[in-house]
Amino acid sequence: MRGIVKRHGTFTALSGIDLDIEPGEFFALLGPSGSGKTTTLRILAGLEPLDEGRVLLDGEDVTAREPGARDVAMVFQSYALYPHMSVFDNIAFPLRMIATPKDEVERAVRDAAAKVHIDHLFSRRPGQLSGGQQQRCALARAIVRKPKLFLLDEPLSNLDAKLRLETRVELRKLQRALGVTTVYVTHDQEEAMTIADRLAVFMEGKIVQTGAPQDIFSRPASTVVAGFIGSPPMNLMPAEVREGVLRVAGVDLPVHRRLGAQGAVTLGVRPAALRIAPSGLPARVYLIENLGDTAIVDLDVGGQVIKLRTEQARELREGDAVHLTFAPESMHVFDRDDGLRREI
Amino acid sequence: MSATRVATFARQERRFALALFLPALVVLLVTTTAPLVYLAWNSAMRIDLSMPWLSGFAGASNYVNMGGDPRFWNSLRLTLVYTVSTVVLQVTLGLALALLVLRIPHGQAALRVAAILPIVLAPVVVGLFWRTLVLSPDVGLVDVVTRALGLGSHNWLGDPQLALISVIAIHTWQWTPFAFLVMLASLSSLPPDVFEAARIDRANAWQRFIHITLPLIRPAIVIVVIMRTMIALSAFAAIFAATGGGPGTATEILNLYAYRTSFSEFNLGYGAALAMVLLAITLGVSFAMFRVRRGR
Amino acid sequence: MKRGQARFSRSGRAEKGARLDFRVRKMIGENRAWPVFTKEGTARIRTLLLVAIAAVLLAVWAFPILWALLTSFKTERDVLAYPPTVIFTPTLSNYRDVIFGSASLLPNLVSSVIIAGVSTALTLLFSIPAAYALARLDLPAKRASGFYVLATQMLPPVGLIIPYYLVLQKVGGLDTYSGLILIYLTFSLPFAIWLMVSYFEDIPREMEEAALLDRAGRLRALWYVILPQVRGGIAVTTIFVFLNAWNEFLFAVVLGGNRVRPVTVAMFNFISVEQTLWAKLAAGAMLAMAPVILLGLLAQRHIVKGLTVGAVKGGGRT
Repeated sequence: MRGIVKRHGTFTALSGIDLDIEPGEFFALLGPSGSGKTTTLRILAGLEPLDEGRVLLDGEDVTAREPGARDVAMVFQSYALYPHMSVFDNIAFPLRMIATPKDEVERAVRDAAAKVHIDHLFSRRPGQLSGGQQQRCALARAIVRKPKLFLLDEPLSNLDAKLRLETRVELRKLQRALGVTTVYVTHDQEEAMTIADRLAVFMEGKIVQTGAPQDIFSRPASTVVAGFIGSPPMNLMPAEVREGVLRVAGVDLPVHRRLGAQGAVTLGVRPAALRIAPSGLPARVYLIENLGDTAIVDLDVGGQVIKLRTEQARELREGDAVHLTFAPESMHVFDRDDGLRREI
Repeated sequence: MSATRVATFARQERRFALALFLPALVVLLVTTTAPLVYLAWNSAMRIDLSMPWLSGFAGASNYVNMGGDPRFWNSLRLTLVYTVSTVVLQVTLGLALALLVLRIPHGQAALRVAAILPIVLAPVVVGLFWRTLVLSPDVGLVDVVTRALGLGSHNWLGDPQLALISVIAIHTWQWTPFAFLVMLASLSSLPPDVFEAARIDRANAWQRFIHITLPLIRPAIVIVVIMRTMIALSAFAAIFAATGGGPGTATEILNLYAYRTSFSEFNLGYGAALAMVLLAITLGVSFAMFRVRRGR
Repeated sequence: MKRGQARFSRSGRAEKGARLDFRVRKMIGENRAWPVFTKEGTARIRTLLLVAIAAVLLAVWAFPILWALLTSFKTERDVLAYPPTVIFTPTLSNYRDVIFGSASLLPNLVSSVIIAGVSTALTLLFSIPAAYALARLDLPAKRASGFYVLATQMLPPVGLIIPYYLVLQKVGGLDTYSGLILIYLTFSLPFAIWLMVSYFEDIPREMEEAALLDRAGRLRALWYVILPQVRGGIAVTTIFVFLNAWNEFLFAVVLGGNRVRPVTVAMFNFISVEQTLWAKLAAGAMLAMAPVILLGLLAQRHIVKGLTVGAVKGGGRT
C-alpha cells in the first residue's frame, strides 16, 4: 500500500499509510479503536474507496478493482455467515460463485472444513453453532478458495478469554500450514505480539512503527508506541540529562555510561525492569494488584504513578516507602518534545 | 489518477441501484404525480359531464366559489370533527385496552384474534354491516340493546346528529384494534428493570404510568396518530356504505363531498378543486406531524 | 405524638372516636374481619374486573361479525323478527342464491382474485428491488427519492380518482382490468417499498460485503444472500398488499363497471331503494370476506408483526 489517504467529510481517517507486506507473512495491524487499522484492512479488501494512494498486490495495481476480483478472502468480526444456508453451503458459496464443478466443490469444502475441524457440522445452520464453531466456519469459507491474501478483522474479539487463547495458537498453526499471506487487525497488543511475524502500530490514522514484535517491544520508536505495548505498558517519566547525569524525580541516578543525550527527556522503563532496592528513586506504594505468581504494584514517584511488576510483592504493604532502581540497559530515552526515540 | 478508476466501481453500484429503482419510480410518476398535475389543471376548469356545453377554462373561479360555499365549510368542519374524534378515541381506547390486556397473559391470544378480524375486513363491508345489522332501527343490534335498556329506538343513521356519531363509532370500531395491537407490542417491549427502579424510588402506579410508560411508548403513539390521521382524512368506503354522506350532508366529509360533486353531480372541475384542497390539507398535516416527530 | 393521644386530651367524645378509629385500623391491618381488603383479595377482585372488561371488549369486537355470520343462515323473515332470534332453523338458501343464483357473486370473486392477485404480483416485482436500492445501495438522490415514496403514500385517493376517470374515459380504459390494476399500484407500491426497506435494513451490512468478496457480484449477492433472509418480510408485505387490494372500494366503484366488478362493489347488489336483502347481504359479505378472514386467521402472527414493524420501528423515512 502506498500513500493511502482516506477522508470522511472533514475527518481524515487515514493520512498517508505506507505498508509493505511480504508473501507468506503474518502481518498484524495493531492500534486502539478508531486508529484506522480496520479502515486500512477494508481498503485492502476493496470494500472502502480511498481518496489518495494505491494498493498493489503482487506488483499489480488493484486499487480500482472490485473486492470480488482481487482474490482476497476476509473473515469479518461478526463472521458474516449466511444464516439461511447450511455450513456446507456457506463454505461452498465462493466456489459455486465461480462455477466450480460439483465434485471439486465437494472435495475442497471437505478439505477446508477438515483443516479447521468442523467437518462434522455440515448440515447445521450458523444459528445452531457455538461462537467458536461459527468462527471456524468463517475461516473455512475464507480458505476454501486458496486466496492470495487472507484478511482477518478482529476475529477473536467475540470469543471468551480461554477460547481466545486456544484459537490464537490454532490460527497461527493454520497460517503456517497454508503459507498464505495474512493481514490481521486487532486492538489487543498482547495478541499481536504473540501471533504476528511483523506488525504495524496505528495511531490516529498514521502508522507510528513497523517491525517484528520483538523489535517493537525492545526498541519502541516513540512514547506513543512505548505507552501502548506491553502489559502493563512502559512507564514514562520526565527526566533531565545534564553532563552525563540523569536526573529523575528529583534524584540523580548514577548511570554507568556517559549519556549522549542532553536536556529534557522522557525516560522509559518497563515495569518488569524495575527493582526494589535500598537506594534509588524514592517511591511510595499505594496499590498492589496480586495476579497470583506476580504482582503489579502501583507506586507514587514524585507525584506520578509508576507500575512495577515483581514476584516479591509479599513483603510490600500499601503505604510503604521504598526505592526503585533499574539496569541501565533497560532504559529508554525519548525526546521530551516530539516523543521520538533517542539513541544513547 | 486512481481516484477516477475507483470511481468506476462506485459508479457501477450507482447504476445498479438506479436500475433497481427506476421501474418503481416510473410507475409512481405515471400513476401519482402525473395525475396530480392533471388534477391541478382540472381544478382550473369547469367540467360538466351532464351539460358538456358548459365545460371550459374557469381559472380560479372554482376556488373562489368554494370560499362562499356553505356545503364546503360544512364538510371541512365535519372532516375536522371526524378526524380528531376518531384518532383520539382510537388512541385512548387502544392504549387502555393494551394496558388492560397486559395484566391478563392468558387472554392475549383470544384478544389478538378478535383484534385482527375488524382490521382485515373491507371498510365498505364494515359500513354495510353496521348500516344493516347493527344500526338499523328496530332490528339492529344497537337498537335492540337500547330498547331493552328502555332508551327507546332511534334512527341511528337517519338522524343528522346521530349519523355523525354513528359514523365515528364505525370507524373507531374498525381501527381501534390497530392502535391496540401496536400499543400492546410497544408496551410488551418495554424493559421491566426501569419499572422496578421506579418502584424502588417509590413511584406509585399512576406516576409510573405518566413519567415512565408514556414517554417510553411515545414513538408508538406518534406513529399511530400519524397513520390514523392520514387514514381518517381519506376515509371513504365505510361512510359511503353506511350513509352515503347523508342524511343530507350530515356526514359529508371533504372527500365525500368531492366524490359526490364529481360523480353524482358530474361537476368534475369543482370536484377537482375540492380534491386539491383536501390534498393540500393532507400534505400540510402530514408535514406538520413529521416535523413534530422529528423535533422531539 | 400519636393521634390517639391527642384526641384523648380534648373531650370525652373524641376519646371514643379515637378508640374506635384505632380498633378499626387494627382490624384491617390484621386482616381479620375484612378479607376483601386483603392484598390477595384486592388482587383477585382486580383480575376479575379486568377479565370482565376484557370479555366485554372481546364481545364488542367479535360480536358484529358473529352476528353477521348467524344472520347469513337465517331466512329473511327470521332476520326481521324482534326480539332477534338466536335459535332458528338455519338455511343454506342464502348461500345458494349468492353462489349459484342469478345474482351470483362468483364472477365478482373471480374479478377480485384477478385484480388483487395481479396487482400484488406486480407490486412485489417493482417494490422489492426499489426498496433494496433505497435501503442499501448508493442511490443517487436517495433522500429525495425516499421522501418522494413517502409523500406518495399520503395522497388521498379521491384526488387521484378524478384525473384517472377523465383520462381512462378518453382512452377507453374504464371498466378494464389493466386500467384498474395499474391504478391499484398507486397505493400498493409506496406502502410495499416502505415496508421492505425496513426489512432490508435489518440485515447486517457485512452480508453483502462477504458475498462480494466471495465473488458473487451485486445482483447475485441480492438473489442468493439477501433475499432469502428477508423471506419473512416478503411474506408480510404480500399479505398486506393483497389485503388492501382485495378490500379496495373507491377505485373499483368509480373506475370499474359492469364487466370489472370486484366483490366489494358487488355488495351493493343486495341493497336497493325498495328493500335490503338482509340475509343475502350477510351471506354475500361472508363470502366476499372469507378469503380475507382466512388469511387473517392463518397469518395472524405475520400480520401483527407487520403492523408493529411498520409502526413501532421508525416508520417514516424523514
